[in-house]
Amino acid sequence: MNEMLGLYPQWYVPGIGTAWVMGIIGTIHVLASHTSVGAAWLFALLATKSVHENKPEIMVYLKKYGMFLLVFSYIIGSITGPGIWYSVTVASPRGISGLIHNFVWLWASEWVFFFVEVIGVYAMVYLIGKIDNKTYLKLAWSFAVASWATMILIVPILSFMMWPGNDHWFQTGSTFDAAFNLNYFAHLGVRTAFMFAVAGAVGGIIASTLKDRETRIEITRFLSKMGLAGLVLMSFMFMWYTLTLPDNARLIMDTQMMPRYGKVLLVLLTTTALYFMFTAWKPLQLRQSMAGAMTLAIALFGLWPEERSRESMRKPYVAGQYIYSNQFFSRDVPGKGVKSDMPLIKANGVLATDYFVPADLHTITPENQLRAGSLLTHVMCANCHSLEPNGALRPLPALFGYSKEPKMIKAYLDGALYHGMVPYMPKMPLPEDEREAMAVYIASLPGGSKKPASVAINQTEIEAKGVN
Amino acid sequence: MDAATTANMLQTMQDQAGIPSHPLIFQILMVFTWIPHILFVNISLGAALVGLYAFTKRQDPNWQLLSEAMTKVAKVGVSLLVVLGVAPLLFTQTIYDPSWYASNVLSAAWVIGFIFTLTIGYLAWFTFYLKNHGAQAPGWIFWLGVFGLAMFLLDGFIMHVLAYQGLHPEKWLSWYTPGGHVDMSGTAIHAFELPRWGFFMAMSLTVFGAFLIAYGDYFKVRADRAPAYLDFARALGAKIAITGALLQVVLLLWWLIDVPAQVHVWTHPMTWLLAAYLFVLLAAFWLARSNNAGQGYRLLAMSIGMAALVSIFREVLRMAYLHPFNYDILNYKVLWDIPSFALFLFTIVVVGGLMGGFIITLVYKAGRVQGPYEADATVTKLGNGSLASTAIWVVVFIGTGIWIWLRNNG
Ligand code: HEC
Ligand code: HEM
Repeated sequence: MNEMLGLYPQWYVPGIGTAWVMGIIGTIHVLASHTSVGAAWLFALLATKSVHENKPEIMVYLKKYGMFLLVFSYIIGSITGPGIWYSVTVASPRGISGLIHNFVWLWASEWVFFFVEVIGVYAMVYLIGKIDNKTYLKLAWSFAVASWATMILIVPILSFMMWPGNDHWFQTGSTFDAAFNLNYFAHLGVRTAFMFAVAGAVGGIIASTLKDRETRIEITRFLSKMGLAGLVLMSFMFMWYTLTLPDNARLIMDTQMMPRYGKVLLVLLTTTALYFMFTAWKPLQLRQSMAGAMTLAIALFGLWPEERSRESMRKPYVAGQYIYSNQFFSRDVPGKGVKSDMPLIKANGVLATDYFVPADLHTITPENQLRAGSLLTHVMCANCHSLEPNGALRPLPALFGYSKEPKMIKAYLDGALYHGMVPYMPKMPLPEDEREAMAVYIASLPGGSKKPASVAINQTEIEAKGVN
Repeated sequence: MDAATTANMLQTMQDQAGIPSHPLIFQILMVFTWIPHILFVNISLGAALVGLYAFTKRQDPNWQLLSEAMTKVAKVGVSLLVVLGVAPLLFTQTIYDPSWYASNVLSAAWVIGFIFTLTIGYLAWFTFYLKNHGAQAPGWIFWLGVFGLAMFLLDGFIMHVLAYQGLHPEKWLSWYTPGGHVDMSGTAIHAFELPRWGFFMAMSLTVFGAFLIAYGDYFKVRADRAPAYLDFARALGAKIAITGALLQVVLLLWWLIDVPAQVHVWTHPMTWLLAAYLFVLLAAFWLARSNNAGQGYRLLAMSIGMAALVSIFREVLRMAYLHPFNYDILNYKVLWDIPSFALFLFTIVVVGGLMGGFIITLVYKAGRVQGPYEADATVTKLGNGSLASTAIWVVVFIGTGIWIWLRNNG
């Protein structure tokens, strides 16, 4: 058993929660980074076409597009990349720590690619027309492959966050067992397909401004075909992807994500497909504003739900099905010598074992009960729940039906949460007095503007989900 | 928090998963990958400052040319300093995870602000760059540039705060619970050290000055750059570098005085080595001040040497700060992971060497000729190597992946 908890201090963002902060930065980053990888391939394909068919006009487009690519993808992508990292750091320090300590060499390898990519993009843009064609194509294709390699290297980490998918890694602790988890290839497939689709949309922003009629038609058609192919591939990959998910994720996807986002995603998919068909059919009708709107729609109605879903679906974990979102270790990982925190908090509670507790809160008294309850609720729940009645992130008061009844709340803490019966919530075997303090605190939270809804917690429903 | 409790806390906070290779490997990588980061920080900040100053004198053709060129240098430089920052970011949190994460979370709002301000600062700078052409460039864009530079300076300051707060684990709890009340807002900056931050800013003048002299030498061979302009750039570079090196000496002294006594910074040989080297560097700039044609590369190399010493000094200092709390990375639990380490070595040597070497050689050689450039035998070979290495890399990685995937999930 661990002697103390290795928790960090906590960051709490009222209203939207840290999860949304990550979601916002994540959405921007995913858009920029996938566009840049897709665009790298577009660059290489078009440069090859230009050289082989002796069409220098295409290079003019590339020069323009490259400039745009630089600002749009590289700058935004390369700042928001560390940006995600930083936001995960402050939202979930132990989560990122777990990933870093498992994958540091993968990340370091990715960094090598990332570095050659960034110097490569300058070379690609500034050397167009300045160096001989053969050398240029070598540059363009190295660049395309290297860009994809950054994706190949980050997806192991992202898919491991969902789950290892089998017991090997828990026993061996080997990086490759973690990297090539059950979810990996399907996830890589979805992202690879998506990068072609989104590059097809973003490419239109510049293609629509080309002066030369023939080139404009040719490039727009090329983009449309690439986009369509990406969409089709993505649909298949997504089906495979859902088959590689753990039960808790399937449950959340079916019960929460699909009802909330399913229709939007379907409409978006259809619209995008129609858009590409239209631009293939009537390339000259494509306006810059349309391509811009399409890109924005993909970000808002595609990526935002995707980022939020990915975050929700791996609940109650943040990584590897051993680190809970609230930063506790849920189980032993023999391969790494990681010990579950559960026995410790069951025996001694959190207040006495967390270093970041004010001295007078180590033991609960009638005077400090409310403050203790507040701290505990923040530590145990705030990663996933806003504490404000109208907060954006699964607001806790609302989920308790704005109950002012500590008894009722405590019953929930004593039952479902204590025993870990809710598939999407961590197990929290806290001692009696800590549960009591939390219940008192949660009951003291201000009510919402809405009328108390029918009480959200329905024991039989939870048990039904629990067996699932 | 007393030293014993702090020591226990740090030990508990270290990731239980341990690290996959010997700690010294990470430490060396951290120290050496930070050198290029700070060099590009220095060049970018210096170039941005001089680019803006030159902009105000753009009626003079030399200043005008310089303004355009340096605006571009800062544009490229910042994007490189960001990528280059990623590597030390990775390694510092591998071996100093408690310090890095605690410090970040305690100032979380600033961490997010860092990303935000860096993005808008860069976009502002980029817009300034797009419009800064010719003597007729509109005057108002100056303020865009100023805004960009101000954001970069702020971001450097935030970086400094994050590094510095991590050195004081004994204070984390009191920062987190001021007056016994838990503060989860992350809006406070809890500690900073002006001379330390100032030292890195002064260093920007030195390194950038050397860069400017080297810039003058690099373009010597290009017929389209007037020798008078290049002389002008070099002379300016020398002045800036001397100012920077002088300021560095003063700020280093102030910094050393500010470091707490229990760190014993005065008795450490690194301290004296750095100080002595700064004097040597200052002397080198001084001696080259009036006739520095052809000396740029040497002076730049000497400045890079200085950056290396600074990087080592920073690490020595960190070890000394954490020593009273028994934090020694050599005690970090090691669970070797050979395959992924081999992957990294393969990637950095083969892909980094061939593709990186290809691009850098190509850009260097193409930049020195006016008009089209035809690849010579070296560049041709590097180009083939670059293509082959990336392709082989993908095949090997995916191939290994399929094999392991089938074995584990089949
Ligand atoms: C790992 C993230 C996570 C943590 C930590 C967490 N929850 Fe939840 N909780 C969820 C999710 C996801 C839902 C489903 C919300 C929805 O239906 O929109 C949920 C739902 C609930 C509900 C509604 C009833 C139900 O079972 O769906 C209650 C009540 C609740 N949580 C209380 C808490 C309390 C109290 C804590 C802290 C002691 C806590 N949760 C911690 C993720 C979490
Ligand atoms: C304009 C932007 C930036 C500036 C001016 C800047 C400047 C600096 C400075 C001055 C330091 C030394 C601080 C000290 O030791 O007191 C530093 C350290 C560092 N920077 Fe940057 N930086 C910038 C952006 C970045 C980015 C984007 C990253 C990451 C991707 C990064 C990663 C690092 C790391 C890892 C350290 C070392 C921290 C440590 O030792 O604990 N920097 N930077």
